Amino acid sequence: MKDNEPDSCTDSAVPANGINSARKPGELVFTAFLCIASVYLLWEAYGIAGFEALSSPGAVPMATTAAMAISSVILLVRAIRLPRARAGVIAESVVPGVFVVFVLLLLAFSVLLKPLGFVPTAALFLVVAIKILGRRSWGFTIVVSLASLLVIWLVFRVGFTVLMPPGIVPEAEFIQFLRNVFGGGRS
Amino acid sequence: MKKTVFGAVSALVLGISGATAQDFPSKEIQGIIQWGAGGSTDTVMRSVTPHAEEALGATIVMQNMTGGVGAIALNHVTSAKADGYTLLMGAENPLLYKVMGLGNKDYTDFIPLILLARGTPLLLANNDAPYDDYQGFIDYVKAHPGEVRIGATGPGGLSSVITAMMNEVEGDLDMIKVPYDGDGPALTAMQGGAVDVMPAVLGAAIEAVRAGNMKTLAVFDVEQNKNLPDTPIVTSFNEQYNTFLPWGSFFGVFAPKGTPDDVVAKLSDAFGTAAVNPEFLALMDDRGFKMMNISGDEAQAFLTKWQQGTTWLLHEAGLTKASPEEFGIARPGE
Amino acid sequence: MDTLMALLTVITQPQLLLLVGVGTFAGVYVGAIPGLSVTMAVSILISFTFSWDVYPAISLMVGIYMGGVYGGSRTAILLNIPGAPCAIATAMDGYPMAQRGEAGQAIGVTTTMSFFGGLVGILVLAIAAPLVSDFALRFQPRDYMLLAVLGILLVGSLSPGSLLKGIFAGALGIAVGAVGRDPLTFTERFTFDFSLLDGGISFIAVMIGMFGVSEALLQLRHVATPTVRQKITRVVPSWKTVRKHLPLSLQSSTIGVVIGALPGTGGDIASLMAYDYAKRTTKKPEREFGDGAMEGLVAPETANNAAVGGAFIPMMTLGIPGDAVTAIMIGALFIHGLNPGPMLMVDQPEMFWFIVGALVTANCFMLLFGLTGIKLFTKIVEMPRSVLIPLIMLLSIVGAYAVNNSITDVYWMLGFGVFGYFLRHYGYPLGPVILGVILSRLLDDNWRRAIISEREDLWRFFDGVVSSPLSLTLMLGVILVFVSQTRLWSFAKSLLPRRKSPQEGD
Repeated sequence: MKDNEPDSCTDSAVPANGINSARKPGELVFTAFLCIASVYLLWEAYGIAGFEALSSPGAVPMATTAAMAISSVILLVRAIRLPRARAGVIAESVVPGVFVVFVLLLLAFSVLLKPLGFVPTAALFLVVAIKILGRRSWGFTIVVSLASLLVIWLVFRVGFTVLMPPGIVPEAEFIQFLRNVFGGGRS
Repeated sequence: MKKTVFGAVSALVLGISGATAQDFPSKEIQGIIQWGAGGSTDTVMRSVTPHAEEALGATIVMQNMTGGVGAIALNHVTSAKADGYTLLMGAENPLLYKVMGLGNKDYTDFIPLILLARGTPLLLANNDAPYDDYQGFIDYVKAHPGEVRIGATGPGGLSSVITAMMNEVEGDLDMIKVPYDGDGPALTAMQGGAVDVMPAVLGAAIEAVRAGNMKTLAVFDVEQNKNLPDTPIVTSFNEQYNTFLPWGSFFGVFAPKGTPDDVVAKLSDAFGTAAVNPEFLALMDDRGFKMMNISGDEAQAFLTKWQQGTTWLLHEAGLTKASPEEFGIARPGE
Repeated sequence: MDTLMALLTVITQPQLLLLVGVGTFAGVYVGAIPGLSVTMAVSILISFTFSWDVYPAISLMVGIYMGGVYGGSRTAILLNIPGAPCAIATAMDGYPMAQRGEAGQAIGVTTTMSFFGGLVGILVLAIAAPLVSDFALRFQPRDYMLLAVLGILLVGSLSPGSLLKGIFAGALGIAVGAVGRDPLTFTERFTFDFSLLDGGISFIAVMIGMFGVSEALLQLRHVATPTVRQKITRVVPSWKTVRKHLPLSLQSSTIGVVIGALPGTGGDIASLMAYDYAKRTTKKPEREFGDGAMEGLVAPETANNAAVGGAFIPMMTLGIPGDAVTAIMIGALFIHGLNPGPMLMVDQPEMFWFIVGALVTANCFMLLFGLTGIKLFTKIVEMPRSVLIPLIMLLSIVGAYAVNNSITDVYWMLGFGVFGYFLRHYGYPLGPVILGVILSRLLDDNWRRAIISEREDLWRFFDGVVSSPLSLTLMLGVILVFVSQTRLWSFAKSLLPRRKSPQEGD
């Protein structure tokens, strides 16, 4: 079971089999979390409009959170009944080190995005991420990161005028400068 | 492409000087459109802005920022630097945010660069409805309480204001209000018979009316509309409407308060020039919008009057979350 | 004769032909990149083409639209990340094929079938537009609601493992879709008094997070594993393959046209429904669904491209948008001085035939570009994972931001990415979550409209359902699908002569 576990998650869009004969490490905690969250959301949905009317804005949310609560309670009971899988260490099978590192990287990205701006944050992210995963030379890492960032920036910022947070980079002035250089702006 | 890249690098090396008000605009301007792509605010803004760009000699990048009935876009622009590089392209509803409990900001936090045009409200009905004019409709509702289904576009929407007006003038009308999230979907539903009557802005309905897919009961204005010469105005049925009319939705471009005066003047001029462009005028006329093209104090006065009239009307109809008084909005005429 | 001339406008004018081609080419890539949407591209084109004539402007938009709807399947097959919502179903069987090294074949079938579906959609648009739009207008709120319920029952098909986990995931999706201020009454729902949540959670952000980031996080485990070499022979499917799937593709195209023509529903729902339909009706697939079944590619891809023609039906006949893209195109026609509405067909029929011609041309270009650029595309999957994974993450971030230009969407996307990773790990299917988010408003809004119209009277509501043939048909469909999914099916079969099945509400 343990050997093919990771594959059953990655091999298809949907995990091949949701029913397992043994409890995965951490499954109990996760199911309990879903259960508590569902019940809390049900309470929250009840707070929208109570049982005021069939057409109240809270009607459908209450029905769906009730469905969530009921199904997660059943799943929790099932999970409790399952025998525990062979001493799996959570750190290994559920959250491998590289996963933690990447979640932290993404977190750092979202924190820095606004103050630092998109271009520097993305450049840092790509360099660090590719370096960690690829273990290639710094030259390769930096060239690949910056080249792909440039393509992304050109497509989104220039092509699709998606205004990512500029942060410390004076993007708009820079693009106006380009416009003036090539073809003298819009007029 | 290679050239662009080269230029980009050299520009970075050269460094870019900071912009001052004198050489405004020195970079592209962001125009945040409060409503989604394809809506009437969106189309009006996208058809006027290219003319304004020409007058200004700069690029205005337009973006749709939807959600929270436009409040998200409004908050975004107020939190941006008041330097004239971030503009709000919006419609009338922010003036109702405070009383509807949707936020604590409205156009009082902005300087109107221009109020472009306003839309005329209409009362429309499904072709199979057993009444052909406003009076027939009112009589029918009174004779059949709780049977007529009227389309609604959420509290504070145009249809809720018109419905509130009708209740005020005609006494309480017992109708089923079927909620839709815009007049487009509601008018579609009316053609399919899911709704019997619908108050909507003329521009949204005019093509369907021309094709005979729905009928008009009355124009909610004080003078005959030239796009609909055969539809009577509502004041011809009941003069009490004169208290509230003329009233209508409007579109405008706004800059956050604190924007330097000369920048405001430049932008205001550019949009003013754009608003008299014959191509644009023809478009607006075709869609039944009435041009306003006002700015400065005149625009401010219009906004104040609009807000007073509408918030108090909605408040008296019991549709608001808070009294306009709490926000220092005076009763009309006071 | 005039009609023929208008129809051939695009082909006879090299400039227009070029624009449709460029548009389609760009569309394929726009569609393939998650976060770049056709809606976005078309609304930018409005400003870009402002000073152009109307024909070139529309040519470019039609090209982007056709190409974009198809393009989403590329990344769905190659990376298991649907480039656009209408390619969600395509990932189910497309990605397993790519993992066997059959990406070339999968793309070939997808392209041919998209072309076929597109053609059916255009054909219906050309010959039966007024008829279909009359039918679409007849849908009442209760019919939309029943349609949404029918959609939600797809959870069964999208949950290969435990149905209970699927139900949980679907309900979660509907709840996520309800977050924010309710668009009908402005009541706050699940906002926990954060004004950030007022605008709700963008469904594209959820999709990108769940499919993009969580996939990238899972792939981290396989950084060292060599990538699958793709065979790119046999790209053009044999006539035998095409003929074998002809009946199915006709049926799924029909689903696509009708769902596409309904205002408020589009290619995303159409393709999921078609996938479900294929799964139900295919008696003996060569491979199981979810494991690389050809039918699982044929159905959604024909349906979503057929929905393009469908979406133009209400737009051209009534001036009512069939989806977000046609809504913007109506705006474009207006800006170019036309009056999109019911009179357009009467006053300027040549515009209608011009668009039909442009659609046919774009469809042909799509076939051309689809079958030629495959080698380049498959190179993407053969890229080292150490570069691919960070790039997927970065693209997901930019894409989520681009939807609404909001940083909040980026946070949500990342949150759902990490959450999706755990859901997958513990065997919860992600398809139903997305399905729930897509259908949330359709279900909620129309249920409320329907019950308000009947003055909160359930009895009157059921009376309405039974007395309308359309609602009754939909209701029977819902019951049939529901029963067939549960154990009641075998029970009902044993009672078949009398056909009475104990029914419970959902």
